[in-house]
Amino acid sequence: MVSSVRTTLPGRLVASCFVLLFGCSLALAAPATPGPAVPAPVVADGFTFVKSVGGISEYQLTSNGLTILLAPDHSAPVVTFQVTYRVGSRNEVTGTTGATHILEHMMFKGSEGYNDAKGNSVKQYLERVGGQYNASTSVDRTNYFATVGRDSLEGYIAIEADRMRRLLLRESDRQAEMTVVRNEYERGKNDPDNLLLEAVTAAAYVALPYHHPTIGWLSDIEHVPIERLRGFYDTFYWPNNATVTVVGDFDVAATLQLIRKYYGVYPHSPAPIPELYTEEPAQVGPRRVTIEMPGELGTVVIAHKVPIGIDADQPALEMLDAILSSGKSARLYRALVDQGLALAAASGTDLHRDLSLHTLYAQLAPGATHAQVEKSLLAELDKIRADGVTNEEIERVKQQYLAADAYRRDGTAAVASELNEWIAIGDWTLYVRFPEAVEHVTAADVQRVARKYFDENQSTTGWYVPVASGAEHGP
Amino acid sequence: MNRLILMLALSLSAFCASADMVEHAQRERVAGIDVVTYHTEVKDVVVVVGALPAGDAFAGTGNAAVPTLTSMMLDRGTRNLDQFAIARQLESVGAEISFGAGPQSLEVRAKFLKKDLPLVIGLIADELRTPAFSAAEFNKAKQQFIGAVESSLQNTGARAQEAFSRAVFAPGDPNRPHTLEEFIAAAKVATLDEVKAFHAQNYGPAHFTLVVVGDVSMDTARTEIAKAFAGWTGGHDYLTSAPGAAPAGPNEIKIPLADKTSVSVLLGQATGLRHKDPDSLALQVGTAILGRGFTGRLMATVRDKEGLTYDIGAGIVDDTLVGGAWQLSASFAPSLLSKGVAASRRELQAWWQNGVTDKELSQRKRGIIGGYEVGLSTTGGLATTILSNLQRGYDLNWLDAYPKAVDALTVSQVNAAIKAHLDPSKMVLVEAGSLSAAK
Repeated sequence: MVSSVRTTLPGRLVASCFVLLFGCSLALAAPATPGPAVPAPVVADGFTFVKSVGGISEYQLTSNGLTILLAPDHSAPVVTFQVTYRVGSRNEVTGTTGATHILEHMMFKGSEGYNDAKGNSVKQYLERVGGQYNASTSVDRTNYFATVGRDSLEGYIAIEADRMRRLLLRESDRQAEMTVVRNEYERGKNDPDNLLLEAVTAAAYVALPYHHPTIGWLSDIEHVPIERLRGFYDTFYWPNNATVTVVGDFDVAATLQLIRKYYGVYPHSPAPIPELYTEEPAQVGPRRVTIEMPGELGTVVIAHKVPIGIDADQPALEMLDAILSSGKSARLYRALVDQGLALAAASGTDLHRDLSLHTLYAQLAPGATHAQVEKSLLAELDKIRADGVTNEEIERVKQQYLAADAYRRDGTAAVASELNEWIAIGDWTLYVRFPEAVEHVTAADVQRVARKYFDENQSTTGWYVPVASGAEHGP
Repeated sequence: MNRLILMLALSLSAFCASADMVEHAQRERVAGIDVVTYHTEVKDVVVVVGALPAGDAFAGTGNAAVPTLTSMMLDRGTRNLDQFAIARQLESVGAEISFGAGPQSLEVRAKFLKKDLPLVIGLIADELRTPAFSAAEFNKAKQQFIGAVESSLQNTGARAQEAFSRAVFAPGDPNRPHTLEEFIAAAKVATLDEVKAFHAQNYGPAHFTLVVVGDVSMDTARTEIAKAFAGWTGGHDYLTSAPGAAPAGPNEIKIPLADKTSVSVLLGQATGLRHKDPDSLALQVGTAILGRGFTGRLMATVRDKEGLTYDIGAGIVDDTLVGGAWQLSASFAPSLLSKGVAASRRELQAWWQNGVTDKELSQRKRGIIGGYEVGLSTTGGLATTILSNLQRGYDLNWLDAYPKAVDALTVSQVNAAIKAHLDPSKMVLVEAGSLSAAK
């Protein structure tokens, strides 16, 4: 389904508790280690070769600053093409919350060259050629992508490039799409855990725009004028604010020329892309929120703000999360699930371009109380702060991480998706360098970051408290 | 773990798209198990998917929760290793094994690096053959099962699907689920003896299919599977007959749930068609024209033009082993429910009455065939497709034959299948959510 906003809880990430849904990242001082097959840069007219890391090459379209990442792989005759715009809900303000996401929807309403009336819209083209396509919006980025047979690549590049600057953005389309987005919003509100995470996030961030959900506040969704959307589009949808990623079965030189042919028609943005200068003020005490709605089982979430996604402490936090929640050997499983306090428990970090958010999550087992579960979650953090972790635990989760890293790269779309999240956070090379950094994490590193970031005074705790279902007897 | 080996996994995709996919596959009976291997170019990664007939339908007239509870006991220790020893072995190499019970199948999935094939196959065999069935773990499993089902009680989608399936599948049909309340009540009184008996009666190699895809050969897989499963006996076939159509009931079912901002809607009927039946492919492709993707008629009109919903589509479900059901699914805000349902019915009626056009069929066929190729480009996607094909009764040649069969369909075949197997006037409408606010 086209479009998705990121509202998730770590507890949902049963299979991959390391890189929480949206990836993760860090900027490390250590130089990148090239992968085993570093391709020689292709000399292509109009492009500047920037670097190659781990078999992925970065180029820049010299005329307008478009960044291009190329990861050729010829083991299957398919290719994933993706464009990531470095704009997300962090770029919104009151009155335009949700605008990034609405704009993402509007990107499927047609551009001057490709639209339903002409019979060649992005939907019509991709479904005719059997492409798997989608788009998504998060706090830090918006991406559009499709996986197609190699022979269908040029057609998709042409459409994607056209809608970068020639989107129709009609008021009639906004009106129809507003109710679609409203329904998406309403679907999300059916789930108490989503509501709880939104409430915890809103309490944890006071000044940073991560305070509001990516899908926006309902009143903004309903009322944002088309002119504001146009302004948003004209501010952020430029080649110098975008990264194109191509993964799979393609010819490097030929594809660069296609990118130049279709994206080279645009200039650099007329004004600099606005930078966010807001900083989160210091938190001066624990915060608590409670959600009450009909349901059966409660939930506890404990959040702490942690450094920016590219911070060098993130690999240690990643290992801490794995020790707490990856598999049956994990501490939260043993302390909560195995003891009958929780049905599921997890720990993870939602990595952001600005301050990230670490969350502990537990869904209460029947008969367990919120207070019991909260106490147990905090006790596990305290044990790490006080006593650290064992070398055996570190080695176990490193092996899990490295194997999961291989699994995550099964398929061109998976590679593009992973790169997308690193691009959003600010450094795509961490796609390669983060796993390398994980290999160097020590038990002392994990204890150090636990002590540094998990102070109760810096916490935001949320409870979802189920209440008896009210009278609802149908129409 | 050698970093270099893992970086080689960047050499990613699984599928060699040629007209001879079947040439990459091998199929043999090993230790009584139907084993398929498919060698791909992906480096180092192996995926295993498997299924045997031990799902919910095999509870029969016994305790409804027992099949799932049995599946939940598999990874809680064996007679040889406790659950934490198993976890340590798997986690130390980053391997993953999971089990789950569906309507008819007990399913196993595993993902691991090539070097760990002996370990993973050995553990799968140990867990399937000799679960420890500890009383303490059984009580935990019951509690978790009850909690998970209770969580679904307020889920509009789960409640709508439960009601729909119970309305269109007759009592005794393997596709007819128990109610969530029945599952909870059954789990509360389930005993460990019932679970042990279910395991003894239903688990075995007789109709167990195991598909191994990735950087692996049949020679290697055969050796490990033969060793791990030697001497295992038992098992039985799937349920392949159903009692026929459900007795006529109300054609509208409303499930009121308080404080929900979105209503889940299902509209459809049983078809009596299995996936492999002659008209099935034509009906699938016709249904895709109505309800798949953004160019499907439902999305193009009810969402794109009228803005009534975020998500609407149509498809065929539960047709692997017995006749399945056709269903249109959507969600609407309570305030748009009547409008949304009316628009859905309008599109359904027009599609059913007038059929699809040559142009629509031509474009959809091309899209399905292209999408098939893309869908098989991951190890997991390929493994899942092979297992589904075999469960549906196809042989390995279907991997290559499927796109050709799609391409050969004519518009008259598609429209005849729609008319022959569907009738909008007989469809059941289910709405789950805050209906008192509905307009």
